[in-house]
Amino acid sequence: MAFVKAQKTKAYFKRFQVKFKRRRAGKTDYRARIRLINQDKNKYNTPKYRFVVRFTNKDIVAQVVSATIAGDVVLAAAYAHELPRYGLEVGLTNYAAAYCTGLLLARRVLKTLEMDDEYQGNLEATGEDYSVEPADSRRPFRALLDVGLLKTTTGNRVFGALKGALDGGLDIPHSDKRFAGFSKDSKQLDAEVHRKYIYGGHVSSYMMNLMEDEPEKYQTHFSRYVKKGLEADNLEQLYKKVHAAIRADPTAKKSEKQPPKQHKRYNLKKLTYEERKAKLIERLNALNAAAGADEDDDDDEDE
Amino acid sequence: MPAGHGQRARTRDLFARPFRKKGPTHLSTYLRIYKIGEYVDVKVNGSIHKGMPHKFYHGRTGRVWNVTKRAIGVEVNKQVGNRIIKKRIHVRVEHVQPSRCHEEVLLRIKKNDQLKAEAKAQGKIISTKRKPEGPKPGFMVEGATLETVTPIPYDVVNDLKGGY
Repeated sequence: MAFVKAQKTKAYFKRFQVKFKRRRAGKTDYRARIRLINQDKNKYNTPKYRFVVRFTNKDIVAQVVSATIAGDVVLAAAYAHELPRYGLEVGLTNYAAAYCTGLLLARRVLKTLEMDDEYQGNLEATGEDYSVEPADSRRPFRALLDVGLLKTTTGNRVFGALKGALDGGLDIPHSDKRFAGFSKDSKQLDAEVHRKYIYGGHVSSYMMNLMEDEPEKYQTHFSRYVKKGLEADNLEQLYKKVHAAIRADPTAKKSEKQPPKQHKRYNLKKLTYEERKAKLIERLNALNAAAGADEDDDDDEDE
Repeated sequence: MPAGHGQRARTRDLFARPFRKKGPTHLSTYLRIYKIGEYVDVKVNGSIHKGMPHKFYHGRTGRVWNVTKRAIGVEVNKQVGNRIIKKRIHVRVEHVQPSRCHEEVLLRIKKNDQLKAEAKAQGKIISTKRKPEGPKPGFMVEGATLETVTPIPYDVVNDLKGGY
């Protein structure tokens, strides 16, 4: 084999500086995090809340979090997998589901802080840009949107969740530039289009397209919708019902979890410090005892 | 070219980040709170260019006299000629660490308050003053054997045997 000079020598590893753990994992953007968390020093211990939205392949996570040195503290969280409780069983990661999750989180937060009567938010989702008006008694709950690492293009689902939280009554500084339905040419938000997206209109039109052009593909793609009996027309009223159900009871429900099963152990369990010392003492004693017996025999030989 | 005397002159090593600690600063720097009257150490973080103190103050400890949005006002002693002036500087929080110089005093205050409260409950009078270490108490020397050592008379003959 040809002589290859070692690329990563010992010296390379000695000088290598690892990035922060969450940066190595590619999960946290520290530049953005510093700016989101930094609280004015003359506000001392006042928490600064972030409205965190993250998307997985099959779920949406929305949380209201504040940061401390010991770790971030979650004030309230809402997941898309909770939406079946409110009547939405399919399409849990689309724009409309993101809106529902944001709305659920907002109502939940306001309920735990007992502000839900003062700040009802926007009861009828019209897609227009809505900001909470401060009421007489308390100022609205303020949080800052934390998108994480995703690309903030116009019409991204994260802004659907933002819209849900805004309509739910949270005060989140924003602009309507990135809502679905904002057109770059006219530099205006088309509230109608945005409303369509909030009520799953874009999904409905695709369903209708497929039903006409490729019925087999429709059956495979929207099989779970078909099983639940959801047609393109009744999506809007389904979402209206879900919104009403969310506003009626946003409290989180504790899920019953069995304690995890005890599995058979296939490898040896690691011993504790005391156990290892005890074992060593036993071995030495055994050795001494055996040596004592041998010594009497050996002595005659050595001599 | 003559030597420059700018604000950051001769700070190549002083303001350099430590080995393998370059890059973003960790978040706890930004999450700490400082109250007026606390003691802080000024330690420059070379990667944050705003709100840097002058190199003189690197390594100094002072008291907080002001808290603004992103910075802390620190009062530091500086010897100017034949006197010491209390200088008030403003420093961003990245260049400041809470000082442990006062930690022992604060712990002692807490402990003393607790002891005084207990004594009051029992009706006893205690003194919480610190006492300096006194002279060691006397002790008996154990396990010593006495060896008397006497000088031997000088023997010229034997000593010169080695050569002279």
